[in-house]
Amino acid sequence: MLKFVVVILALPAVMLPVATFGYVLVRGWAGMTEAYGLMDQVTGSLLLAGLACALSSPVSLGMAVWLCIHGKRAGSSWLLQLQLLHGIPPLVYGLCGMVLLVQWLHWGVSLMAGAIVLAVVVLPQMTLNYLAALQRIPREWTEAARSLGLGTAQVVLRVWLPGAWRGLVTGLLLSLARTLAETAPILFTAAVFSGVGWPGSLLSPVTTLQTHIFYLAQEGIDDRAIDTAWSAASVLVLLVLGGSLIAQWLRARSLR
Amino acid sequence: MKVSPQESRQPVSSPAPLLKVRNLCLELEGRSILDQVRLDLPCRGVTALIGPSGAGKSSLLRCLNLLCDHWQGEIVIGERSVRKWPGGADALRRHLGLIGQKPVVFPGSIRRNLLFGLGRRERKVVPLSRIEKGLSSAGLWEEVRDRLDSSAGGLSLGQQQRLCIARALMLQPGLLLVDEPTSSLDPQGCHIIEETLLALARHLPVLWVTHDLAQAQRVADQVIFICQGSLVEQAPAMEFFTRPKRLETREFLRWNVCECDG
Repeated sequence: MLKFVVVILALPAVMLPVATFGYVLVRGWAGMTEAYGLMDQVTGSLLLAGLACALSSPVSLGMAVWLCIHGKRAGSSWLLQLQLLHGIPPLVYGLCGMVLLVQWLHWGVSLMAGAIVLAVVVLPQMTLNYLAALQRIPREWTEAARSLGLGTAQVVLRVWLPGAWRGLVTGLLLSLARTLAETAPILFTAAVFSGVGWPGSLLSPVTTLQTHIFYLAQEGIDDRAIDTAWSAASVLVLLVLGGSLIAQWLRARSLR
Repeated sequence: MKVSPQESRQPVSSPAPLLKVRNLCLELEGRSILDQVRLDLPCRGVTALIGPSGAGKSSLLRCLNLLCDHWQGEIVIGERSVRKWPGGADALRRHLGLIGQKPVVFPGSIRRNLLFGLGRRERKVVPLSRIEKGLSSAGLWEEVRDRLDSSAGGLSLGQQQRLCIARALMLQPGLLLVDEPTSSLDPQGCHIIEETLLALARHLPVLWVTHDLAQAQRVADQVIFICQGSLVEQAPAMEFFTRPKRLETREFLRWNVCECDG
């Protein structure tokens, strides 16, 4: 019975990519190399996701390490706060980013504004991912290192980080996949529909796969535009799936 | 390397104890783990710390090297309180080598594990002679001399435990705290570890936690018996096993002998 329920629940997760690729295979990779090309969108999505994770990663790692060190004393309240932050709809972060970064700081719709908002969106999940990776380090390793006279910083640098690197990379890739899938926060802060190539600076706008699909599906007036939206969706699914699969593979290896 | 227990059992030469514990109390989650423990550790030889499971033996070791630091009372090594140890808790832990129940080797080579406790600069300039000396002290040099850069995970459990001993010795400790080091080993591995530690005990005081009375009889010069967090009796090994003073000790010995017999 349980297996049946799991299969039913897993069906959408399997069918969605299959349907997306099926549509593209039947209709052809419309306009991928022509007027409706997607290279700028792929570049924009990867730049935004990469920059967001680069901004979020050191803070998340620091918080995860801090929670590991002070876990018993202060950990539970911090974990609760992280889970609360994780539950806030990303659109709310997007609105805050628009008011603070785009309008108040006059950055305009830009790569940097979008990356900062995405970094905040992904911060709780990334911290929880890193925390899970660090908590898998055997307690005996920490005790053995401390009994050899290693200080806290040394234990973190020489035992925790090398011991948990696979789990940390897994957490990073899962977070990267999450940022690639986010649309709402960058609608108002980073993305424009077209006319943008490689951003000239951090304060230039970008065009992304997510928003591209949104605009094409909403405003497409011919079949070609809808086909391109499906092609873009396939590429996006491919990127997210690729990141998730690598993450799962690394996770399985780190658990061995 | 072969050393008989009797050979290592030399009379305690210095009347001044190396380590003094006074009124040590430890509570964990509202439960008393150690209660007013008072003991003296001589400057040389093996002192066995025995007691039933849950008596607080391992907790006492963790208090000594400040891995557990929320105790009350006083612990003095030489003339210095461990709370005011020069260089802090990390320096204290380098002075008190701790060997745990299960061997803990870090991912990486035998060499990396051996040098794990040393500083970054020191690790880079350690001569082979020092590595040889460290591994030889733990009776491991001959077995690993040709594969220092092989994974430490490939060693047997007994070899890993001796690697842990060598790793602690590389820091030139003034006292060795040993927490049931043979509990995860087969009889042969157990025998080798006992011999290794007895050889070390000729130059280095060893506080050896065990719940194995036969092992305590084989290795100890002095025995400390704790039960339910309190020190019951401390006496030279011969006297402890033949003429125990306290009723609790006699019952513990009788019960354990009965258990061994049958």
